[in-house]
Order: sequence, then structure tokens, then C-alpha cells
Amino acid sequence: MTGKQILLDAIAGKETERPAWLPFVGCHGGYLIGKTATEYLTSAVLLVEGLKKAKSLYNPDGLPVMFDLQIEAEILGCDLHWADEVPPAVTSHPLAMGKKITDLPEIDESKGRFPVVTAALETLKKDIGDDTALYGLICGPFTLALHLLGNDIFLDMYDEEDVVIDVINYCAEVCKKSADIYLKHGADVIAVVDPMTSQISPAHFEQFVTPAMNNVYDHIREKGGISSIFVCGDVTRNLEVMTKTTADNISVDEQIDMSHLRELCEAQGKSFGGNIKLTAVLLLGDEDDAKMETLDIMNKSGSKGFILAPGCDLPYAVPVKNLQAVSELVHDTYAREAAKSLQAKDADSFDDVTLPDYHGARAVILDVITLDSTSCAPCQYMMEAVEMAADAAMVKVWINEHKIKVREGIGMMVKLGVKNLPTICINGEPTFASIIPDQTTLVKAIEKAALPKMSVGP
Amino acid sequence: MAKNEALYEAVLKGKRKDVSSIVNELVAAGTNVEEILMESMIPAMAEIGDRFSRNEAYVPEMLIAARAMQAGLDILDPLLQEAGHEPIGKVAIGTVKGDLHDIGKNLVAMMLKGAGFEVMDLGVDCDVDKYKEAVDGGAQVILLSALLTTTMPYMKEVIEGLGNCGAKILIGGAPVTQEYADEIGADGYSDDANTAVKSAKIALGLAA
Repeated sequence: MTGKQILLDAIAGKETERPAWLPFVGCHGGYLIGKTATEYLTSAVLLVEGLKKAKSLYNPDGLPVMFDLQIEAEILGCDLHWADEVPPAVTSHPLAMGKKITDLPEIDESKGRFPVVTAALETLKKDIGDDTALYGLICGPFTLALHLLGNDIFLDMYDEEDVVIDVINYCAEVCKKSADIYLKHGADVIAVVDPMTSQISPAHFEQFVTPAMNNVYDHIREKGGISSIFVCGDVTRNLEVMTKTTADNISVDEQIDMSHLRELCEAQGKSFGGNIKLTAVLLLGDEDDAKMETLDIMNKSGSKGFILAPGCDLPYAVPVKNLQAVSELVHDTYAREAAKSLQAKDADSFDDVTLPDYHGARAVILDVITLDSTSCAPCQYMMEAVEMAADAAMVKVWINEHKIKVREGIGMMVKLGVKNLPTICINGEPTFASIIPDQTTLVKAIEKAALPKMSVGP
Repeated sequence: MAKNEALYEAVLKGKRKDVSSIVNELVAAGTNVEEILMESMIPAMAEIGDRFSRNEAYVPEMLIAARAMQAGLDILDPLLQEAGHEPIGKVAIGTVKGDLHDIGKNLVAMMLKGAGFEVMDLGVDCDVDKYKEAVDGGAQVILLSALLTTTMPYMKEVIEGLGNCGAKILIGGAPVTQEYADEIGADGYSDDANTAVKSAKIALGLAA
């Protein structure tokens, strides 16, 4: 089964063999190919190059074509401030400067950066679209209304309710046109990204946002598309009203408790996704932090209708190795088991687990850390390789298999400093991790380890 | 004077016309202007701030309460000055260089004003020199705001640039954490507009 199918199954609420994996590669794609956010977000060629690079590095099941919530606003006349490491920011608000809705230009695919994003989408569809679900991202109606009206929208929600509702309804029509453009050019999923809804109450969400959003989601469904709602920011209080919209899927930011979201989505028959911490874990943390966080999210989210994703658009310079650590956990069952044991180790000092006397023993000691060689194929092959090499070596060898399914095995893993499964340690040193060495290499390594023992022996 | 419940409720619910008329009535009746501010209006802003911290009030509710508060202050300010009333401290706030986001910064500024501080709003995209000018202008606390992970590192440059300027430096914004504040040597951190007021008071020794 392709990764794309796993993602589409997950979004349809089905059980999946592993979590679907959707890294939100926005301007981070520019970082991957040494380009600024501005260069990257204005070039179809660079978008394709960056996303293909992300595909090869992170092995994702889905990718957003362009993570930039200013595409529609730019066409509608908002000025943008461009930067090297973030998407552009809106600096002027046409409807706060005397313009009326009827003065704003029509949205169509020939305008603004739509030619860039649709060209990239078509190429990606052809090149990686068979096994990658491509997301068309549109700016949600409330955030777009804020782009057009400026911060006054918050006070206008009290002072001029009807005006705000008119603008949001207009924005929903813009969203529908954007969705049509993405669907026409081959997008598999339309994500309506509406981060500013994190700043309003559930009552305001239902009054101002729900009708407009449902209008967009129903339209996408009529056109045969799949829809998702992305809200970056803390939407804890709005989760329930979000799950009651007609979107197929809900993706949330790092502040959300995934167990709670899972309950709400199960009640509404929706799939959901999220929510790896962007700054503390992905940007500033290391691979172990990324793995622990991912495992925790997977445990809370279960295996039905769940898509693993960062909380929001990835920061420009997220270390590649951290996202690769997440990818490894998604794709490699054994990496998941190893991470689980890392998790367990935090609660245990393993004082009672003692290492053999490697120096004093009159044999080479091989400790093989496995998940369990009777049930894990790579572990089984590694154990066989070790046994054959022990027979072939011209020295005495003791072999111990430590299965991390039991506490003693985890203790040995921790004390020997083993990070991957399976791993062969020779005289207490992790020597071969994950990859099974060929027979000659392993025999030589064993015989080399015996030399000091021979020279100091009685 | 005890709290005036009608005024308290009017600020809390953002009823600016009601706030104006109640304040005018109280002033006309000879009520002590400082008491109007301290006993009814500031407690209402503190309450909306606490509700914000508890996720029971949101940006629109904060903004209309702050606007209603301002309607009252417009009437009281000249009277307070006549009466020799001093702000509890002078602070400056700005979003750091490269960052144009101002909603969070504005909320913090409003809450500080609502708590009785004199607030210098430095705007967005502020470089080190802008903060230095604020210190030269008498700011006792400098508040740095950032929404972006890419502009957050500039906070460190500001702290280094200001050196031992005598003012306390507080930081806040979506990506900022206490750990980051400790790492770059900030004097304090707040995770929302309400706790920013407490942090500013603590920085000036007005609260523990």
C-alpha cells in the first residue's frame, strides 16, 4: 500500500497499519535547498525542488504544495512584507482603508501567485503524486477577513456584526474559488487554514465562522474533494465547535490534548491530526526529544483516523535530523519499540542490572540487544549472524541476547548506551547498530576484541 | 468607597457608553477620582485578564473591555493629574525587529495601562536603539514581544544591546518559554497578557 493511500485511509477515518505522516513543509522547503522563503514562495521550480527534497529526506505520505496564507490576500490588494525565513506578512488592509467588497478584484488562477502554485502542483502530481497526497492550502474565511479588515475586526464583531458577517461570507466565496483552482490542478486534499479563530470564543466561532466554513466544506465535498480544517494556536475551547463543522478532518497545534481531540472526533465521525511541538521539540530539541514526543502523540491518538503532523507550518531552519527521527518512528516498527524502551528507561535507574566483567572474562562477550529474535525478523537474522561468526572465530565467545520486551533487556540497553535495535555490543561497546554486518567483518571484529585478553591473560 | 458594581460590570462587559455615563455621574457626585479608578475600573480589567488566562475570555472580549476602560480614563485622566495621582510605573513595549505582529503586544499594553502603568508603545519591528530610547525616556520595564520563531532570537540581541541599563526586561509571545527567558538572561517571562501585568509588578517590586 502506498503512503498516499495510508493517508487517504486515515483521513477517511479508517484504521491504518501505521500513522499517516504529513510534515508541513512550507518555507522549510526553501531551507532544504538553500533558498530564502521569498525566493521559495515565488517560484514553481523551487517549490518542486524543495518538496522533492523533503520527500526524499522525510518519506512523507502527504505534503502541502505551498504553506502561505497570504496568497488570496495578496490578490485582493493587501500589501505584503517579505522576509528571508518566514512567509510574507500582510501590512495593509483594503477594507479598513475605504475600499468596499465590491471594489476588490475577482479571484482566478491567472492572478497573483496562483500560476506559481498550480504549476508546482501539476509537476509534483506527475513526479511524486502516485505515493504522495498533495494538499492545497487556502486561507480560512476568518483569517482572510482579518487580512482585509485588520485588527478592527475584533471590535467590529461587537459594533457591526452584520458588516463582519458580510465580509466573512465574502471570504468564504473566495475560499471556494481557491479550492476549485487547487482541485482542478490535482490537489488530493483541501486544507482550510484559519489560525485567527484560535483568538475567539466558541460562541463567536459558531456565530461568525461555522456557517462560512461549512459553506466551503460542503462545496469541496460537492466537487468530490476532501477537506481539512487546520487551526494553529490554542483552540482547546473551540475544539468541540470545530469538530461540529462539516470538514472531513481536523488538524491541531501543539497545545491540544490529543486524547481529548480523539474523543471529540470519534463522537463526530471525523479523522484528526497533529501536533508535534514546533519550537521546543522540532526546532530546539534533538532526535530523542522528537522521538519521545512522536511516540507520546501516537499513543494518545491511536491508529484509527489519525494523521501525524507538526502543530503548524514548520519553522524555516528545523534540523533535518529531527524530522528524520519522526519519519523513522513512523516507518520502522523496531524504531518505535526502541523508543518505547527509551521512554520506559526514564522511570527506572536499573540499579540491579549489572554488566558482565568484560575485562576479566576469558572470552569475548557479545551482547545482542533485540526486540525479540523469535518475533522480529532483523533481530533473528542478527542473532543468526552472531552465532555463525562465533563459531567461525578462532576465539572463545559468549553470546547473550537481551530482549527489550523484558525489564532486564531495557536495563542492559540503557547501561550499554544502545540507541537502535538490534545492536551488537562487543565487550560492552555498541559496535554494529541496526545493520547486520557481513560474516568476515563480524569475525574480524570478534577476533580483534580477543587480542587484549590474550596479551594480559595469565 | 466600595466597588461600584455597575461601573465594574460595564468595564468587564465592554460597555463603553455606560462606563462614560457612570464615571461622569460619579465625578459629578464628588466621588474621589482615584477610588473610581482603583476600586472599580482596575479590578474589572484584572478580572477580564484572569478570565483570559483561564480561557474564558478571548481577544475580542479583552479589546472591548480595554476600550471601555479607556473611555473612563479619558474622563478621569485630567482629574487624576490635577489630584497628583502618579502611575504605578513607567514601561515600554514593542514587537522585536523583523516581526510585524501586534495583537499580543497591543493586548499586553492595554492590560498594563488598565493596571495603572504609564505605557510607551514602541510599535512593531523595533531595533535595539528603539528600546534604548525608551530606557533613556524613563522606562523602568522593557517588554519584548515576538510571534515568530525566527524573530525570537533578536530578543537576545536586545538584552545584550541594553546591557546594564537599569531597566528590567520581560519577554513574551507564542514561541517564547521560561527556559528561553532564562537562557538569554531576561528578567522575566509571561505566557499571556494577564500574567505580563503581574510580571511587570514583580519586576518593580510592587508584587511578590
